[in-house]
Amino acid sequence: MRSLKLFLLFSQFALKSTFQARFGVVLFIAGKIVRFLFLFALIFIVFGKVTSIKGYLLNQIIIFYLTFNVIDTISQILFREVYRFRSLVTNGHLDQILLKPYHPFLRVLVGGIDFLDVIVLFPYLGITFWYIFQTPLITTGGLFVYVALLFNALIIVTSLHIFALAIGILTTEVDHTMMIYRDLTTMGRFPMDIYKEPVRSIFTFIIPIGVMMTFPTKALFGLLSPIFIPLSFVLSCSLLILSILVWNRALKQYQSWGS
Amino acid sequence: MDTYLQVFTITIKEYFVYRLNFILWRLRKVINLMVIFFLWYAVFDHTKEFGTYQKADFLSYILYANLISNFVLGTRTTDIASDINDGKIINILLKPVSFFRYYFTRDLTDKCVNLFFALFEIVLIVYIFKSPIVPPQSILLFVLLLINGTLIAYFISLLLSFVAFWTTETWGPQFLFYTLLFFLSGSFFPLDVLPPAIYKALLLTPFPYLYYLPTSVLIGRTVSLPLFEIAMSFVWVIASWIVVKYVWNKGTKSFSFWGK
Repeated sequence: MRSLKLFLLFSQFALKSTFQARFGVVLFIAGKIVRFLFLFALIFIVFGKVTSIKGYLLNQIIIFYLTFNVIDTISQILFREVYRFRSLVTNGHLDQILLKPYHPFLRVLVGGIDFLDVIVLFPYLGITFWYIFQTPLITTGGLFVYVALLFNALIIVTSLHIFALAIGILTTEVDHTMMIYRDLTTMGRFPMDIYKEPVRSIFTFIIPIGVMMTFPTKALFGLLSPIFIPLSFVLSCSLLILSILVWNRALKQYQSWGS
Repeated sequence: MDTYLQVFTITIKEYFVYRLNFILWRLRKVINLMVIFFLWYAVFDHTKEFGTYQKADFLSYILYANLISNFVLGTRTTDIASDINDGKIINILLKPVSFFRYYFTRDLTDKCVNLFFALFEIVLIVYIFKSPIVPPQSILLFVLLLINGTLIAYFISLLLSFVAFWTTETWGPQFLFYTLLFFLSGSFFPLDVLPPAIYKALLLTPFPYLYYLPTSVLIGRTVSLPLFEIAMSFVWVIASWIVVKYVWNKGTKSFSFWGK
Protein backbone atom coordinates (compact mmCIF):
# COMPACT_ATOMS: atom_id res chain seq x y z
CA MET A 1 0.00 0.00 0.00
CA ARG A 2 2.86 2.34 0.90
CA SER A 3 4.59 1.42 -2.36
CA LEU A 4 1.43 2.22 -4.30
CA LYS A 5 1.23 5.64 -2.61
CA LEU A 6 4.85 6.34 -3.51
CA PHE A 7 4.26 5.16 -7.08
CA LEU A 8 1.33 7.55 -7.40
CA LEU A 9 3.39 10.37 -5.92
CA PHE A 10 6.25 9.81 -8.40
CA SER A 11 3.71 9.61 -11.23
CA GLN A 12 2.24 12.94 -10.14
CA PHE A 13 5.72 14.52 -10.28
CA ALA A 14 6.29 12.98 -13.72
CA LEU A 15 3.01 14.43 -14.96
CA LYS A 16 3.99 17.90 -13.76
CA SER A 17 7.43 17.81 -15.39
CA THR A 18 6.01 16.41 -18.65
CA PHE A 19 3.69 19.36 -19.14
CA GLN A 20 6.41 21.91 -18.44
CA ALA A 21 7.43 21.65 -22.10
CA ARG A 22 4.05 22.12 -23.77
CA PHE A 23 5.32 23.02 -27.25
CA GLY A 24 7.52 19.91 -27.35
CA VAL A 25 4.73 17.75 -25.95
CA VAL A 26 2.31 18.65 -28.73
CA LEU A 27 4.88 18.02 -31.48
CA PHE A 28 6.09 14.82 -29.84
CA ILE A 29 2.58 13.37 -29.69
CA ALA A 30 1.99 14.52 -33.27
CA GLY A 31 5.20 12.74 -34.30
CA LYS A 32 4.10 9.52 -32.61
CA ILE A 33 0.68 9.62 -34.26
CA VAL A 34 2.21 10.40 -37.67
CA ARG A 35 4.63 7.47 -37.36
CA PHE A 36 1.81 5.13 -36.34
CA LEU A 37 -0.38 6.27 -39.23
CA PHE A 38 2.41 6.09 -41.81
CA LEU A 39 3.32 2.53 -40.90
CA PHE A 40 -0.35 1.65 -40.86
CA ALA A 41 -0.57 3.14 -44.36
CA LEU A 42 2.48 1.09 -45.40
CA ILE A 43 0.54 -2.11 -44.64
CA PHE A 44 -2.33 -0.92 -46.83
CA ILE A 45 0.07 0.04 -49.62
CA VAL A 46 1.56 -3.45 -49.55
CA PHE A 47 -1.84 -5.12 -49.50
CA GLY A 48 -3.01 -2.87 -52.31
CA LYS A 49 -0.99 -5.10 -54.60
CA VAL A 50 -0.70 -8.49 -52.85
CA THR A 51 -3.29 -10.59 -51.02
CA SER A 52 -1.03 -12.10 -48.37
CA ILE A 53 2.46 -11.98 -46.89
CA LYS A 54 3.87 -15.34 -45.84
CA GLY A 55 0.30 -16.61 -45.66
CA TYR A 56 -0.98 -13.77 -43.45
CA LEU A 57 -3.94 -11.71 -44.62
CA LEU A 58 -4.38 -7.94 -44.27
CA ASN A 59 -6.31 -8.05 -40.98
CA GLN A 60 -3.80 -10.45 -39.47
CA ILE A 61 -0.80 -8.28 -40.38
CA ILE A 62 -2.63 -5.26 -38.95
CA ILE A 63 -3.23 -7.08 -35.66
CA PHE A 64 0.48 -8.01 -35.49
CA TYR A 65 1.33 -4.34 -35.99
CA LEU A 66 -1.25 -3.09 -33.48
CA THR A 67 -0.21 -5.65 -30.87
CA PHE A 68 3.39 -4.49 -31.24
CA ASN A 69 2.22 -0.92 -30.66
CA VAL A 70 0.24 -1.84 -27.54
CA ILE A 71 3.17 -3.72 -25.93
CA ASP A 72 5.68 -1.08 -26.97
CA THR A 73 3.52 1.78 -25.70
CA ILE A 74 2.85 0.14 -22.32
CA SER A 75 6.57 -0.42 -21.88
CA GLN A 76 7.21 3.25 -22.76
CA ILE A 77 4.60 4.35 -20.22
CA LEU A 78 5.92 2.23 -17.39
CA PHE A 79 9.67 2.31 -17.85
CA ARG A 80 10.51 5.80 -19.17
CA GLU A 81 12.61 6.45 -16.07
CA VAL A 82 15.14 3.83 -17.20
CA TYR A 83 16.15 6.21 -20.01
CA ARG A 84 17.21 8.74 -17.37
CA PHE A 85 19.11 6.24 -15.22
CA ARG A 86 22.59 6.97 -16.59
CA SER A 87 22.83 10.42 -15.04
CA LEU A 88 21.83 9.01 -11.62
CA VAL A 89 24.80 6.64 -11.79
CA THR A 90 27.33 9.10 -13.20
CA ASN A 91 26.56 11.94 -10.78
CA GLY A 92 26.15 9.73 -7.74
CA HIS A 93 22.50 10.58 -7.08
CA LEU A 94 21.70 6.89 -7.11
CA ASP A 95 23.13 6.82 -3.56
CA GLN A 96 20.24 8.94 -2.35
CA ILE A 97 17.74 6.54 -3.87
CA LEU A 98 19.43 3.44 -2.49
CA LEU A 99 19.41 4.95 1.00
CA LYS A 100 15.65 5.57 0.97
CA PRO A 101 13.40 3.06 2.81
CA TYR A 102 11.67 1.76 -0.32
CA HIS A 103 12.67 -0.55 -3.16
CA PRO A 104 14.86 1.33 -5.67
CA PHE A 105 12.78 -0.03 -8.58
CA LEU A 106 9.94 2.21 -7.43
CA ARG A 107 12.09 5.16 -8.41
CA VAL A 108 14.54 3.97 -11.12
CA LEU A 109 12.26 1.52 -12.95
CA VAL A 110 8.69 2.81 -12.68
CA GLY A 111 9.28 6.21 -11.11
CA GLY A 112 8.64 8.25 -14.26
CA ILE A 113 5.36 7.27 -15.87
CA ASP A 114 5.24 8.70 -19.41
CA PHE A 115 1.86 10.36 -19.74
CA LEU A 116 2.44 11.23 -23.40
CA ASP A 117 2.18 7.55 -24.23
CA VAL A 118 -0.93 7.15 -22.08
CA ILE A 119 -2.65 9.54 -24.49
CA VAL A 120 -1.98 7.23 -27.45
CA LEU A 121 -2.42 3.89 -25.63
CA PHE A 122 -6.21 4.00 -25.45
CA PRO A 123 -6.74 4.58 -29.18
CA TYR A 124 -4.25 1.76 -29.89
CA LEU A 125 -6.14 -0.60 -27.59
CA GLY A 126 -9.48 0.41 -29.11
CA ILE A 127 -8.31 -0.13 -32.70
CA THR A 128 -6.61 -3.42 -31.81
CA PHE A 129 -9.72 -4.97 -30.26
CA TRP A 130 -11.89 -3.52 -33.04
CA TYR A 131 -9.75 -5.33 -35.62
CA ILE A 132 -9.67 -8.51 -33.52
CA PHE A 133 -13.48 -8.61 -33.38
CA GLN A 134 -13.65 -7.90 -37.13
CA THR A 135 -11.47 -10.92 -37.88
CA PRO A 136 -13.33 -14.19 -38.44
CA LEU A 137 -12.47 -17.46 -36.67
CA ILE A 138 -11.21 -15.84 -33.46
CA THR A 139 -12.18 -18.06 -30.53
CA THR A 140 -12.71 -17.10 -26.89
CA GLY A 141 -9.88 -19.47 -25.97
CA GLY A 142 -7.60 -17.80 -28.51
CA LEU A 143 -8.49 -14.39 -27.12
CA PHE A 144 -7.78 -15.56 -23.57
CA VAL A 145 -4.35 -16.92 -24.53
CA TYR A 146 -3.69 -13.68 -26.46
CA VAL A 147 -4.31 -11.54 -23.37
CA ALA A 148 -2.28 -13.94 -21.20
CA LEU A 149 0.65 -13.76 -23.62
CA LEU A 150 0.39 -9.95 -23.66
CA PHE A 151 0.99 -10.03 -19.90
CA ASN A 152 3.78 -12.49 -20.50
CA ALA A 153 5.33 -10.03 -22.97
CA LEU A 154 5.20 -7.34 -20.29
CA ILE A 155 7.12 -9.62 -17.91
CA ILE A 156 9.83 -10.00 -20.57
CA VAL A 157 9.82 -6.24 -21.18
CA THR A 158 10.23 -5.67 -17.42
CA SER A 159 13.15 -8.12 -17.26
CA LEU A 160 14.91 -6.47 -20.18
CA HIS A 161 14.58 -3.06 -18.54
CA ILE A 162 16.01 -4.43 -15.27
CA PHE A 163 18.91 -5.86 -17.29
CA ALA A 164 19.42 -2.39 -18.81
CA LEU A 165 19.55 -0.86 -15.32
CA ALA A 166 22.11 -3.44 -14.21
CA ILE A 167 24.22 -2.76 -17.32
CA GLY A 168 23.90 0.93 -16.49
CA ILE A 169 25.49 0.38 -13.08
CA LEU A 170 28.24 -1.87 -14.43
CA THR A 171 29.19 0.22 -17.49
CA THR A 172 27.36 3.58 -17.11
CA GLU A 173 25.99 2.84 -20.61
CA VAL A 174 22.20 2.98 -20.74
CA ASP A 175 21.23 5.20 -23.68
CA HIS A 176 22.58 2.98 -26.43
CA THR A 177 21.42 -0.19 -24.68
CA MET A 178 17.89 1.21 -24.63
CA MET A 179 18.00 2.45 -28.21
CA ILE A 180 19.21 -0.94 -29.42
CA TYR A 181 16.44 -2.58 -27.39
CA ARG A 182 13.93 -0.23 -29.08
CA ASP A 183 15.28 -1.00 -32.53
CA LEU A 184 15.33 -4.74 -31.89
CA THR A 185 11.73 -4.71 -30.74
CA THR A 186 10.69 -2.98 -33.98
CA MET A 187 11.49 -6.28 -35.67
CA GLY A 188 8.31 -7.49 -33.96
CA ARG A 189 6.12 -5.04 -35.86
CA PHE A 190 5.54 -7.79 -38.38
CA PRO A 191 5.40 -11.59 -37.96
CA MET A 192 8.82 -13.17 -37.47
CA ASP A 193 8.02 -15.45 -40.43
CA ILE A 194 9.06 -12.65 -42.80
CA TYR A 195 12.67 -12.90 -41.66
CA LYS A 196 15.04 -15.39 -43.19
CA GLU A 197 17.08 -17.85 -41.16
CA PRO A 198 19.17 -17.47 -39.03
CA VAL A 199 17.70 -14.01 -38.29
CA ARG A 200 14.27 -15.51 -37.51
CA SER A 201 15.51 -18.04 -34.92
CA ILE A 202 17.91 -15.57 -33.30
CA PHE A 203 15.15 -12.99 -32.79
CA THR A 204 12.56 -15.50 -31.70
CA PHE A 205 14.44 -17.58 -29.17
CA ILE A 206 17.87 -16.12 -28.35
CA ILE A 207 16.69 -12.49 -28.17
CA PRO A 208 13.02 -13.14 -27.38
CA ILE A 209 11.51 -10.43 -29.61
CA GLY A 210 9.30 -13.03 -31.29
CA VAL A 211 8.02 -14.37 -27.96
CA MET A 212 7.26 -10.83 -26.78
CA MET A 213 5.77 -9.25 -29.84
CA THR A 214 4.44 -11.93 -32.15
CA PHE A 215 3.54 -14.98 -30.02
CA PRO A 216 0.36 -13.33 -28.61
CA THR A 217 -1.00 -12.64 -32.10
CA LYS A 218 0.01 -16.06 -33.43
CA ALA A 219 -1.82 -17.66 -30.49
CA LEU A 220 -4.87 -15.52 -31.23
CA PHE A 221 -5.04 -16.98 -34.74
CA GLY A 222 -4.38 -20.51 -33.44
CA LEU A 223 -1.05 -20.58 -35.28
CA LEU A 224 1.15 -21.06 -32.25
CA SER A 225 2.06 -24.62 -31.32
CA PRO A 226 0.48 -25.26 -27.84
CA ILE A 227 3.83 -26.29 -26.36
CA PHE A 228 5.13 -22.75 -26.89
CA ILE A 229 2.49 -21.25 -24.57
CA PRO A 230 3.84 -22.73 -21.28
CA LEU A 231 7.38 -22.41 -22.62
CA SER A 232 6.82 -18.66 -23.10
CA PHE A 233 5.84 -18.30 -19.44
CA VAL A 234 8.83 -20.37 -18.33
CA LEU A 235 11.07 -18.12 -20.43
CA SER A 236 9.63 -14.87 -19.08
CA CYS A 237 9.78 -15.99 -15.44
CA SER A 238 13.36 -17.24 -15.89
CA LEU A 239 14.33 -13.94 -17.46
CA LEU A 240 12.73 -11.99 -14.63
CA ILE A 241 14.54 -14.02 -11.95
CA LEU A 242 17.82 -13.75 -13.86
CA SER A 243 17.45 -9.99 -14.33
CA ILE A 244 16.87 -9.48 -10.58
CA LEU A 245 19.92 -11.61 -9.79
CA VAL A 246 22.02 -9.56 -12.25
CA TRP A 247 20.66 -6.33 -10.71
CA ASN A 248 21.58 -7.47 -7.20
CA ARG A 249 25.05 -8.43 -8.38
CA ALA A 250 25.45 -5.08 -10.15
CA LEU A 251 24.42 -3.23 -6.99
CA LYS A 252 27.23 -4.93 -5.08
CA GLN A 253 29.69 -3.54 -7.62
CA TYR A 254 28.24 -0.01 -7.55
CA GLN A 255 30.70 2.67 -6.51
CA SER A 256 29.39 6.12 -5.75
CA TRP A 257 30.74 9.15 -7.61
CA GLY A 258 29.70 11.58 -4.93
CA SER A 259 31.84 14.59 -4.06
CA MET B 1 41.16 24.90 -47.17
CA ASP B 2 43.74 23.55 -44.74
CA THR B 3 41.52 24.63 -41.83
CA TYR B 4 38.56 22.57 -43.03
CA LEU B 5 40.83 19.62 -43.80
CA GLN B 6 41.88 19.78 -40.15
CA VAL B 7 38.22 19.91 -39.08
CA PHE B 8 37.60 16.82 -41.26
CA THR B 9 40.54 14.97 -39.70
CA ILE B 10 39.61 15.92 -36.13
CA THR B 11 36.00 14.83 -36.66
CA ILE B 12 37.19 11.44 -37.91
CA LYS B 13 39.40 11.12 -34.82
CA GLU B 14 36.36 11.81 -32.62
CA TYR B 15 34.75 8.66 -34.02
CA PHE B 16 37.76 6.63 -33.00
CA VAL B 17 37.55 8.00 -29.46
CA TYR B 18 33.88 6.96 -29.11
CA ARG B 19 34.20 3.65 -30.96
CA LEU B 20 31.53 1.78 -29.00
CA ASN B 21 28.99 4.55 -29.61
CA PHE B 22 29.65 4.39 -33.31
CA ILE B 23 29.47 0.57 -33.49
CA LEU B 24 26.15 0.59 -31.61
CA TRP B 25 24.85 3.32 -33.92
CA ARG B 26 25.70 1.22 -36.99
CA LEU B 27 24.09 -1.83 -35.37
CA ARG B 28 20.88 0.17 -34.99
CA LYS B 29 20.99 1.20 -38.63
CA VAL B 30 21.41 -2.43 -39.74
CA ILE B 31 18.46 -3.55 -37.61
CA ASN B 32 16.24 -0.84 -39.12
CA LEU B 33 17.29 -1.82 -42.62
CA MET B 34 16.61 -5.50 -41.96
CA VAL B 35 12.99 -4.90 -40.92
CA ILE B 36 12.11 -3.13 -44.15
CA PHE B 37 14.31 -5.30 -46.38
CA PHE B 38 12.80 -8.56 -45.14
CA LEU B 39 9.26 -7.20 -45.30
CA TRP B 40 9.66 -6.53 -49.01
CA TYR B 41 11.60 -9.75 -49.55
CA ALA B 42 8.59 -11.59 -48.08
CA VAL B 43 6.15 -9.62 -50.27
CA PHE B 44 7.99 -10.86 -53.37
CA ASP B 45 7.55 -14.49 -52.27
CA HIS B 46 4.02 -14.31 -53.65
CA THR B 47 4.34 -11.91 -56.54
CA LYS B 48 6.79 -11.30 -59.34
CA GLU B 49 6.17 -7.59 -59.52
CA PHE B 50 4.95 -4.78 -57.29
CA GLY B 51 3.50 -1.92 -59.29
CA THR B 52 5.98 -1.51 -62.11
CA TYR B 53 8.84 -2.93 -60.06
CA GLN B 54 10.42 -6.34 -60.49
CA LYS B 55 11.85 -8.02 -57.37
CA ALA B 56 15.47 -7.11 -58.27
CA ASP B 57 14.58 -3.44 -58.90
CA PHE B 58 12.56 -3.12 -55.70
CA LEU B 59 15.09 -4.75 -53.38
CA SER B 60 17.89 -2.81 -55.07
CA TYR B 61 15.91 0.37 -54.41
CA ILE B 62 15.59 -0.47 -50.70
CA LEU B 63 19.30 -1.24 -50.36
CA TYR B 64 20.58 1.69 -52.43
CA ALA B 65 18.13 4.10 -50.76
CA ASN B 66 19.47 3.00 -47.39
CA LEU B 67 23.05 3.50 -48.59
CA ILE B 68 22.34 6.94 -50.04
CA SER B 69 20.30 8.05 -47.01
CA ASN B 70 23.32 7.22 -44.84
CA PHE B 71 25.24 9.79 -46.85
CA VAL B 72 22.54 12.41 -47.34
CA LEU B 73 21.20 12.37 -43.77
CA GLY B 74 24.56 11.89 -42.03
CA THR B 75 24.90 15.02 -39.91
CA ARG B 76 26.61 16.62 -36.95
CA THR B 77 24.28 19.61 -36.89
CA THR B 78 22.30 17.92 -34.10
CA ASP B 79 24.89 19.40 -31.70
CA ILE B 80 24.02 22.96 -32.75
CA ALA B 81 20.71 23.25 -30.88
CA SER B 82 22.25 22.36 -27.51
CA ASP B 83 25.25 24.59 -28.30
CA ILE B 84 22.87 27.50 -28.88
CA ASN B 85 20.90 26.75 -25.70
CA ASP B 86 23.94 26.53 -23.44
CA GLY B 87 25.89 29.28 -25.22
CA LYS B 88 28.74 27.09 -26.47
CA ILE B 89 28.03 28.25 -29.99
CA ILE B 90 29.92 31.44 -29.19
CA ASN B 91 33.12 29.38 -29.40
CA ILE B 92 32.51 28.83 -33.11
CA LEU B 93 31.24 32.34 -33.79
CA LEU B 94 34.42 33.88 -32.36
CA LYS B 95 36.74 31.70 -34.44
CA PRO B 96 37.99 32.87 -37.84
CA VAL B 97 36.03 30.15 -39.65
CA SER B 98 32.75 30.23 -41.53
CA PHE B 99 30.01 28.71 -39.36
CA PHE B 100 28.30 27.12 -42.38
CA ARG B 101 31.50 25.69 -43.86
CA TYR B 102 32.67 24.45 -40.48
CA TYR B 103 29.49 22.44 -39.90
CA PHE B 104 29.32 21.33 -43.52
CA THR B 105 32.83 19.87 -43.16
CA ARG B 106 31.79 18.05 -40.00
CA ASP B 107 28.67 16.82 -41.80
CA LEU B 108 30.75 15.65 -44.73
CA THR B 109 32.97 13.65 -42.37
CA ASP B 110 29.93 12.03 -40.80
CA LYS B 111 28.52 11.23 -44.23
CA CYS B 112 31.77 9.65 -45.47
CA VAL B 113 32.26 7.53 -42.34
CA ASN B 114 28.63 6.34 -42.40
CA LEU B 115 28.76 5.65 -46.13
CA PHE B 116 31.88 3.54 -45.72
CA PHE B 117 30.28 1.33 -43.06
CA ALA B 118 26.87 1.23 -44.77
CA LEU B 119 28.51 0.00 -47.98
CA PHE B 120 30.16 -2.82 -46.08
CA GLU B 121 26.88 -3.75 -44.33
CA ILE B 122 24.89 -3.80 -47.55
CA VAL B 123 27.47 -5.95 -49.35
CA LEU B 124 27.20 -8.34 -46.40
CA ILE B 125 23.39 -8.43 -46.57
CA VAL B 126 23.43 -9.01 -50.34
CA TYR B 127 25.99 -11.80 -49.91
CA ILE B 128 24.38 -13.57 -46.92
CA PHE B 129 20.76 -13.40 -48.10
CA LYS B 130 21.57 -13.68 -51.80
CA SER B 131 19.56 -10.59 -52.62
CA PRO B 132 19.29 -9.65 -56.28
CA ILE B 133 20.80 -6.23 -56.99
CA VAL B 134 20.97 -4.18 -60.17
CA PRO B 135 24.25 -2.49 -61.12
CA PRO B 136 24.35 1.30 -60.69
CA GLN B 137 23.43 3.38 -63.75
CA SER B 138 23.44 7.04 -64.93
CA ILE B 139 26.25 7.91 -62.56
CA LEU B 140 26.69 11.55 -63.62
CA LEU B 141 23.04 12.46 -63.15
CA PHE B 142 23.02 10.52 -59.90
CA VAL B 143 25.98 12.52 -58.57
CA LEU B 144 24.29 15.81 -59.49
CA LEU B 145 21.08 14.82 -57.69
CA LEU B 146 23.05 13.46 -54.74
CA ILE B 147 24.81 16.81 -54.31
CA ASN B 148 21.47 18.64 -54.41
CA GLY B 149 19.89 16.18 -51.96
CA THR B 150 22.85 16.55 -49.60
CA LEU B 151 22.62 20.34 -49.66
CA ILE B 152 18.85 20.34 -49.06
CA ALA B 153 19.28 17.93 -46.12
CA TYR B 154 22.08 20.08 -44.69
CA PHE B 155 20.06 23.30 -44.88
CA ILE B 156 16.95 21.71 -43.41
CA SER B 157 18.86 20.19 -40.52
CA LEU B 158 20.44 23.59 -39.83
CA LEU B 159 17.00 25.16 -39.90
CA LEU B 160 15.70 22.67 -37.33
CA SER B 161 18.66 23.42 -35.07
CA PHE B 162 18.19 27.17 -35.39
CA VAL B 163 14.79 26.78 -33.68
CA ALA B 164 16.95 26.80 -30.53
CA PHE B 165 17.46 30.56 -30.96
CA TRP B 166 13.88 31.01 -29.80
CA THR B 167 13.07 27.94 -27.67
CA THR B 168 14.82 25.22 -25.70
CA GLU B 169 12.26 22.66 -26.89
CA THR B 170 14.00 21.63 -30.10
CA TRP B 171 13.47 17.88 -29.79
CA GLY B 172 9.75 18.09 -30.62
CA PRO B 173 10.11 19.71 -34.07
CA GLN B 174 13.08 17.46 -34.88
CA PHE B 175 11.23 14.29 -33.91
CA LEU B 176 8.19 15.26 -35.96
CA PHE B 177 10.22 16.33 -38.97
CA TYR B 178 12.39 13.20 -39.09
CA THR B 179 9.31 11.01 -38.71
CA LEU B 180 7.80 12.71 -41.74
CA LEU B 181 11.10 12.59 -43.58
CA PHE B 182 11.65 8.84 -43.26
CA PHE B 183 8.29 8.06 -44.79
CA LEU B 184 7.99 10.82 -47.37
CA SER B 185 11.57 10.56 -48.64
CA GLY B 186 11.15 6.95 -49.67
CA SER B 187 12.92 4.97 -46.94
CA PHE B 188 10.22 2.31 -46.86
CA PHE B 189 9.36 2.04 -50.55
CA PRO B 190 9.90 3.91 -53.83
CA LEU B 191 7.51 6.85 -53.84
CA ASP B 192 6.17 6.15 -57.33
CA VAL B 193 4.23 3.13 -56.02
CA LEU B 194 1.92 5.65 -54.33
CA PRO B 195 -1.23 6.78 -56.15
CA PRO B 196 -0.21 9.26 -58.94
CA ALA B 197 -1.94 12.26 -57.31
CA ILE B 198 -0.07 11.77 -54.01
CA TYR B 199 3.19 11.13 -55.85
CA LYS B 200 2.84 14.34 -57.89
CA ALA B 201 2.00 16.34 -54.76
CA LEU B 202 5.10 14.93 -53.03
CA LEU B 203 7.29 16.10 -55.91
CA LEU B 204 6.45 19.67 -54.89
CA THR B 205 7.97 19.10 -51.44
CA PRO B 206 11.71 18.76 -50.69
CA PHE B 207 11.41 15.15 -49.47
CA PRO B 208 11.77 13.17 -52.74
CA TYR B 209 14.93 15.08 -53.66
CA LEU B 210 16.85 13.90 -50.61
CA TYR B 211 17.39 10.29 -51.69
CA TYR B 212 14.34 8.94 -53.54
CA LEU B 213 15.24 10.65 -56.81
CA PRO B 214 19.00 9.88 -56.71
CA THR B 215 18.18 6.24 -55.94
CA SER B 216 15.64 6.02 -58.78
CA VAL B 217 18.23 7.31 -61.20
CA LEU B 218 20.85 4.93 -59.84
CA ILE B 219 18.70 1.85 -60.45
CA GLY B 220 17.76 3.06 -63.95
CA ARG B 221 14.09 3.88 -63.30
CA THR B 222 14.23 7.09 -65.28
CA VAL B 223 14.08 6.31 -68.99
CA SER B 224 14.35 9.95 -70.08
CA LEU B 225 15.98 12.93 -68.38
CA PRO B 226 13.65 13.95 -65.49
CA LEU B 227 13.86 17.69 -66.23
CA PHE B 228 11.04 18.76 -63.90
CA GLU B 229 12.51 16.81 -60.97
CA ILE B 230 16.03 18.14 -61.64
CA ALA B 231 14.71 21.71 -61.81
CA MET B 232 12.72 21.22 -58.59
CA SER B 233 15.76 19.88 -56.76
CA PHE B 234 17.64 23.09 -57.68
CA VAL B 235 14.64 25.17 -56.58
CA TRP B 236 14.69 23.46 -53.17
CA VAL B 237 18.46 23.91 -52.77
CA ILE B 238 18.13 27.65 -53.40
CA ALA B 239 14.92 28.07 -51.38
CA SER B 240 16.25 26.20 -48.34
CA TRP B 241 19.54 28.16 -48.51
CA ILE B 242 17.66 31.49 -48.57
CA VAL B 243 15.44 30.47 -45.65
CA VAL B 244 18.32 29.16 -43.58
CA LYS B 245 20.36 32.36 -44.12
CA TYR B 246 17.35 34.48 -43.18
CA VAL B 247 16.66 32.48 -40.01
CA TRP B 248 20.37 32.52 -39.10
CA ASN B 249 20.53 36.31 -39.43
CA LYS B 250 17.38 36.74 -37.36
CA GLY B 251 18.52 34.19 -34.80
CA THR B 252 22.01 35.58 -34.24
CA LYS B 253 20.52 39.03 -33.72
CA SER B 254 18.15 37.81 -30.99
CA PHE B 255 20.72 35.42 -29.50
CA SER B 256 21.89 35.81 -25.92
CA PHE B 257 23.86 33.28 -23.93
CA TRP B 258 24.98 32.32 -20.47
CA GLY B 259 28.47 33.53 -19.72
CA LYS B 260 31.00 31.76 -17.56
